Amino acid sequence: MLEIDDLAKRYGSVVALDGATFTARPGRIVGFLGPNGAGKTTTMRCIFGLVEADRGQVRWKGGPVDRETRLRFGYMPEQRGLYPRMRVLEQVSYFAQQHGLTARAADDAGRRWLDRMGLADRAKSKLEELSHGNQQRVQLTVALAHEPELLVLDEPFSGLDPLGIATMTEVLQDRARSGVGVVFSSHQLDLVEDVCEDVVIIARGRVVAAGAIEELKSRSGRRHLEVEVVGSDGTWLDGDGSLTVLEHDRDRVKLLVSDSVDLDALLQRARAAGEVRTFAYQPPKLSELFMEAVTPSSDGDGAEPAAEVPS
Amino acid sequence: MSRWRSVWLVAKREILERGRSRGFLFSVAFTTLLVIGSFVVPTLLFGDKDTKTIGVVQPAPPDLDTALTATAGRVDQKISVVPYDDAGAAQAALSEGHVDAVLAVPADLTAAGTLHFAKEPDQAITQIASGAVVSLRVQQVLTDANVDQAALTAAQQVPTVQSLDPQTEADQARFLFANIGAVLILIGIFSFGFTVLTGVIEEKQSRVVEVVLSTVRPRDLLMGKVLGIGILGLVQLLVFVVAAMAAATLTRRFTLPETTPGAILMLTIWFVLGYALYSTALGFLGALASRLEEASNASTPVTMIAMVSYFVAIFAVINDPSGIVARIATFIPASAPFVVPLRAAFDAISPVEIVISIVITVAAIWVLFTIGARVYAGAVLQTGGRMKIRDAWRSAVG
Repeated sequence: MLEIDDLAKRYGSVVALDGATFTARPGRIVGFLGPNGAGKTTTMRCIFGLVEADRGQVRWKGGPVDRETRLRFGYMPEQRGLYPRMRVLEQVSYFAQQHGLTARAADDAGRRWLDRMGLADRAKSKLEELSHGNQQRVQLTVALAHEPELLVLDEPFSGLDPLGIATMTEVLQDRARSGVGVVFSSHQLDLVEDVCEDVVIIARGRVVAAGAIEELKSRSGRRHLEVEVVGSDGTWLDGDGSLTVLEHDRDRVKLLVSDSVDLDALLQRARAAGEVRTFAYQPPKLSELFMEAVTPSSDGDGAEPAAEVPS
Repeated sequence: MSRWRSVWLVAKREILERGRSRGFLFSVAFTTLLVIGSFVVPTLLFGDKDTKTIGVVQPAPPDLDTALTATAGRVDQKISVVPYDDAGAAQAALSEGHVDAVLAVPADLTAAGTLHFAKEPDQAITQIASGAVVSLRVQQVLTDANVDQAALTAAQQVPTVQSLDPQTEADQARFLFANIGAVLILIGIFSFGFTVLTGVIEEKQSRVVEVVLSTVRPRDLLMGKVLGIGILGLVQLLVFVVAAMAAATLTRRFTLPETTPGAILMLTIWFVLGYALYSTALGFLGALASRLEEASNASTPVTMIAMVSYFVAIFAVINDPSGIVARIATFIPASAPFVVPLRAAFDAISPVEIVISIVITVAAIWVLFTIGARVYAGAVLQTGGRMKIRDAWRSAVG
């Protein structure tokens, strides 16, 4: 289990991390979400010792993370980069050896993973000869070839075509199934909702929401109610100030309600207005939870406004 | 995994990637050809010219050959004498370039005869031929006059040649060694030190460094880089030295002095130390730059120091290898790699001085590496513009 415990980091007057705390369990895919500059990249760099935190600790399986531990991690930084003139297989093998594999084992692993990524025929090409998408695949292969126990990927889906997204999703799910902890950051919230079981939402250097997506949804007091009453044009709602209308499209209305709303009463009112074709009561979408979580609350917690973190 | 394996993997990658590159292979091939060529080409062009060929028209005085050879020997020239049956054959040989000059002297020495050249008269041949003919004719006149033969022979004795401070061939070879050594060290520092510099910037620019540093410590990365590129530099140096010695020996341009193995050892030691010192400095300065265009800018302080050290070595130290400038420069790490092999080549340095100088330089490399690695660690992940050393030092991961 990966534990991020009270990490804090300042760059001059800019607060990048302000006591971020969360855990990632093995075998689970964690979506690491937050607006730009919220501290995602800094957190990941702290995990890999690339940035020294001012405060707090990163633990793996209960112990502090050191270089030996990190050899069992795989990393894909946001700023992609490999050796442009190095051959693909040699490159993958080199990084696998740096993670402790013998030369032979690293070569074997490199071939196996390149094959899996559909790059077997490009093993001897120089990296710079590959297309952008294929270079991304090599980057992922580098993070995977030493069979890490923890995968940390910064924006792995950015710049991928739908095919690439499918491959990436499949690989991450497969890794999680074999017990690997996966943490990745993304701005594509619908994708995160499909791929992840858990999410961590970070804003202004602090974790503002964390847990299983389903749990967060049910914990949220917000519910969506979509009602379609034939020929009503939504007039059955008139006069009820307690309901927030999110969308109104002729007969169809989308309402924001609390989870304590009296659904029976609402349904009866709708029926009275006409034939009810749709009556759907749903938890909010992840993107709505996200917006809710990252918007500074009115009671104010004294957090300084987040600024751009130098990368 | 041990740190050394990590360092070695970095070094091995540099050796394999750069060693196989066309640039490196071309530069090794080019320098080797240049070295061999500088020995072989003069031999091919001028080798035969060392021996002058004089055609002698027959009948000629019986002692002429001996007299010519003896006179030539006195002025440190080698000649070969080719007899021709008649003047016509000799003239033909001259115009075809088989001989450098044709000498026709009556067999009874009644006349001084003639010396023919194809074009411009050769000073050396003119002197040799004139000396030989005059001495033969004088000898004949004196013999006819019944002069005492013993007195005559004694009168023909030449003065004994002596030098106050004889310059031997070995001395010349030393001078050559010293100069070539200083140039090689300078070239080594510049070409391979700059490879470290650009390598660091390239890693930073291609952003691969973040992936590398997620497993490799910054100082191990810098060390591996310096080590790997240094091994390539040493290979090139050794290829150069072997090629030069092989060419020198095979073409017999000059004989290698007895001090050769010692000089090569000195050259190798100081090549390694000089390279390690300067490439470490260049490596961490490279980390402060973010684009290759800034490389020369970033490296200016180091290149200035290297150039000044080199000029101190080839002017002040060659001029006076035991002087005060030479002695001071021996104990300054920046100049020691140039100065010590030079002084050693002139036999103007004591073993104690060499050992102290090596200790100081190694200590300086260690200090520079420790500081450099920290600055490197702080700077290498930063992008966007040049970084100040102070900021890099502060932001370093301990």
